[in-house]
Amino acid sequence: MAVALPPSPFDRDRRNRRTLITMAAVGAAMLGLGFASVPLYRIFCQQTGFGGTTQRASGDVNVRAAVGHNMSIRFDSNVQPGMPWQFYPEHRTDTVTVGARDMAIFVAKNMSDKPVTGTASFNVTPTQAGAYFTKIQCFCFTQQTLKPGEEVRMPVLYYVDPKILADPDNRDTQEITLSYTFYPVEQDKKPS
Amino acid sequence: MKKVKSLVLAGLLAFAPATAMNSQAFAQDNAAVAAAPADGAAAPAESAVNAAAPAADAAPAVTVAAPPRMKPTPGVGMPSPGEISLQEQFSPTGHTARWLHDVLLLPLITIISVLVLALMLYVMVRFRRSANPIPSKTSHNTLIEVIWTVVPVVILLVIAVPSIGLLADQYKPAPKDAVTVKVTGYQWYWGYEYPDNGIGEYVSNMLTKEQAEANGEPYLLAPDNRMILPAGRPIKLIITGADVIHAFAIPSLWVKMDAVPGRLNEKTFTIEKPGVYYGQCSELCGARHAFMPIAIEALPPAQFDQWVLSQGGKLRGADAAVTAAAAAPAAAPAEKL
Amino acid sequence: MTTITADHHGDHAHDHHDADHKPAFFQRWFMSTNHKDIGTLYLIFAIIAGIIGGAISGLMRAELAQPGIQYLQIWAQYSDGPSATLDQAYHLWNVLITAHGLIMVFFMVMPAMIGGFGNWFVPIMIGAPDMAFPRMNNISFWLLIPAFALLLGSTFVPGGTGNGAGTGWTVYAPLSTSGSAGPAVDMAILSLHIAGASSILGAINFITTILNMRAPGMTLHKMPLFVWSVLVTAFLLLLALPVLAAAITMLLTDRNFGTTFYDAAGGGDPELYQHLFWFFGHPEVYIMILPGFGIVSQIISTFSRKPVFGYLGMAYAMVAIGVVGFVVWAHHMFTTGMSVNVKMYFTAATMVIAVPTGIKIFSWIATIWGGSISFKTPMVWALGFIFLFTVGGVTGVVLANGGVDDVLHDTYYVVAHFHYVLSLGAVFGLFAGFYYWFPKMSGRMYNEFLGQLHFWVFFIGVNLLFFPMHFLGLSGMPRRYPDYPEAFAYWNKIASHGYEIMAAGMLIFFVNLIWSLAAGRKAEGNPWGEGATTLEWTLSSPPPFHQFETLPVVD
Repeated sequence: MAVALPPSPFDRDRRNRRTLITMAAVGAAMLGLGFASVPLYRIFCQQTGFGGTTQRASGDVNVRAAVGHNMSIRFDSNVQPGMPWQFYPEHRTDTVTVGARDMAIFVAKNMSDKPVTGTASFNVTPTQAGAYFTKIQCFCFTQQTLKPGEEVRMPVLYYVDPKILADPDNRDTQEITLSYTFYPVEQDKKPS
Repeated sequence: MKKVKSLVLAGLLAFAPATAMNSQAFAQDNAAVAAAPADGAAAPAESAVNAAAPAADAAPAVTVAAPPRMKPTPGVGMPSPGEISLQEQFSPTGHTARWLHDVLLLPLITIISVLVLALMLYVMVRFRRSANPIPSKTSHNTLIEVIWTVVPVVILLVIAVPSIGLLADQYKPAPKDAVTVKVTGYQWYWGYEYPDNGIGEYVSNMLTKEQAEANGEPYLLAPDNRMILPAGRPIKLIITGADVIHAFAIPSLWVKMDAVPGRLNEKTFTIEKPGVYYGQCSELCGARHAFMPIAIEALPPAQFDQWVLSQGGKLRGADAAVTAAAAAPAAAPAEKL
Repeated sequence: MTTITADHHGDHAHDHHDADHKPAFFQRWFMSTNHKDIGTLYLIFAIIAGIIGGAISGLMRAELAQPGIQYLQIWAQYSDGPSATLDQAYHLWNVLITAHGLIMVFFMVMPAMIGGFGNWFVPIMIGAPDMAFPRMNNISFWLLIPAFALLLGSTFVPGGTGNGAGTGWTVYAPLSTSGSAGPAVDMAILSLHIAGASSILGAINFITTILNMRAPGMTLHKMPLFVWSVLVTAFLLLLALPVLAAAITMLLTDRNFGTTFYDAAGGGDPELYQHLFWFFGHPEVYIMILPGFGIVSQIISTFSRKPVFGYLGMAYAMVAIGVVGFVVWAHHMFTTGMSVNVKMYFTAATMVIAVPTGIKIFSWIATIWGGSISFKTPMVWALGFIFLFTVGGVTGVVLANGGVDDVLHDTYYVVAHFHYVLSLGAVFGLFAGFYYWFPKMSGRMYNEFLGQLHFWVFFIGVNLLFFPMHFLGLSGMPRRYPDYPEAFAYWNKIASHGYEIMAAGMLIFFVNLIWSLAAGRKAEGNPWGEGATTLEWTLSSPPPFHQFETLPVVD
């Protein structure tokens, strides 16, 4: 072991400052990562279906139906307590052919005497089915405004990606539940 | 037609859980709001026709009485005084999991702890200063270091295999004919809804000490309205939270799942035998976190069907699955107002 | 302890009088740039915080001693006024658990381990005259004071149902956002921000000191294991705390500025907060325990008169624990509804941590093996640490199994587990280190009899307190409950008696502390004999105000 000469205080201060800057940069990067995790988490969920995040496809997508393979779809609806809406699926369950497009109707009615704008959060269970549940058109893509007493029938156009049949994690999936929760849009709440 | 049906339903709900403490209150709520959409009559015609049919079928149900409230068996489906082990299990995954804990993990961790203790006692006695005044200078032994790295790896693999298997079992999705119950956690009570049976959401509040004692049920575990389920049939709970995160937990069925606002979770299990199984909210949810207990009453399947009918619900047939009762959407979302 | 170091002007450092020139009182203690003085301040701070945090747990054990609400309503009158409702009493319970957790984690264990012993001994052990950035060191300490004041102050302002932040130390959204109106939670969050900033500054200081300030010949692979443990801990702090800062900043904006990062109503996700929190939170538990590993390694080696067995394995086991600690966080979230393959990953990854931990435990035993052991107080605490940490570690392996966690999650089993690794692990490490270095820091010997008595009373107390919690957890008692069904009464009563015994042990500690400071025998430079080989034992006790003006050379 070669014994190094004691570094001069000047050298040491410079080295210390360099380490300080490097480490502060590491800390700042982690802080940035903390904030960046918001979009990163969203992208991660959208890409992998993590947490039952559903997929989205454009209307001209062409998927071949896997005839003979059926999947039960259950529809679940929630309204945040205090929001004056009724919101429910027209049918509680539906049976679809995997790969075939299907439409579900949700009914929403504004029970108050004021116009109310709502936006819906959503996911599917079992969560591992999220990567295969694909929506082509959904009321949840945009905000919905209902006039006092107005009732609307809102469609969801979706299909179950046939790739689900090849996924060992979804071998036992016989029923996928699609759940929505409607929230009132408050003026001071901006989507993050 | 539709209006008549709604009124029948409202009446049924009012009679519904005869033994329930605040059934009257919530049934009245339901009655009040259930009528609203019917008056509105905004639903499309064909759906109204479809919906009317099962409602008519359900009409004779007025005469069906609810099965009597089951008495819990002390020590079953609830903790026992001075207990030092997991609660007795009443679901297949519960048995597997308890086996994993009691037969594999617990002995293993006991052996490891005792081994470490024994080694420590040995070195403390053998190498105390009076017995061993001159210390050795050994600070390496590659063989032994490799051994105590590899052996734990092997032990962990032994644990991992059944553990991963257990997970796969536990999270096997329910078959599509499973009895489905929607569970909603509120500050600070639970709401249960049977979407396939047309039974709108009813709430479950904790019994006071006096009420629980009068019922012969454990205080802080006993709610007024239980979640009624059939024994022996696969069950799927779909769980969400209305305000903050709660967790739906029944230790004796090996069930614990968070109720998260804005998203749905599901949990599948089968109850092996009839009984009352208690649980408690298991995620800090505010002041009365400790006071929103859960009880599942598992009935023999025939009695469960009887209960469904007594609530004005309908039995879920193979075909009925496609068309939900109009009653459910009418009553369910409305009462959340 | 402020008086001790001032007592011993004359005994040492005769050859360089400059080295012991101390500034005046205010200058010395309020504008300190001396790592030993700042270390002393940290230790005093940690002791005060520990008394408060420990007293809170006493309140909780008193309430839990029997079923029913005994005292909460009475106490609530002090926090919420004479007309306190039952709900406010229940809320007070949540405030107590929250305060106990936050105080013990951020204001007791971390300041004592890293701020106290780290500051005192890392520079000395590597042969450095001081920390790399002495003024920043001072700022780190003084940031803790407003942080602690904010946290304590938060208990007197509205926080939802009653006064104070009742969110649990995890501050989960949406209970901490829409579920807790009032400034209490904002104050608690700000307190965490400031404490976090303090720790980040401290971490950068330690990293720079350890990387750049080592004496000639003190290579990384010659550093004492305590220094290694602080280095790894500092990196964990630097990587984990900014993520917490980001997470709780977003909580603040969700609460006050209408953002919806964790609010499903605006497209956010409450689960994201949990991911971020535990990305910090899991490394945090290693932040609390790793310095304890380091302290125990030094002590075991000293009192066995043997070098540490498998030094490199020990050092890199800590590095491995630190690295793996960053990829296991979601095992705290097994019941949130993650898909099964994610759970499988986190189950497997978590179990991996048992391997380096096992290496450490067996290496400690191998260090003792063949040694010549003297059972001085620090050694009995270190031996107690090894066994109790093992017990806490193996229950961690049980909890790591995602399938088993379904029934144990958020029960007293978890409480038992983390108190065995932290309250019995980290705290035993703290006491071991305190007795070990007390002669060095104060210049006086502690009372050996009282030290041993403290150990045995505390050992019996904490085991009686925490072991029954395993049983409660197995039979299903959830955490954070002020009241429980009759069936849980038996073990809760025993646990509360355990608290009484532990509290008696703490009394012995304070008697010993005061007696030793006032009348303890003067300590020589190295009271532990030939086994104590690290650099602090080459200095006088207490060390000169400025040590190593001429750098030591390590061969």
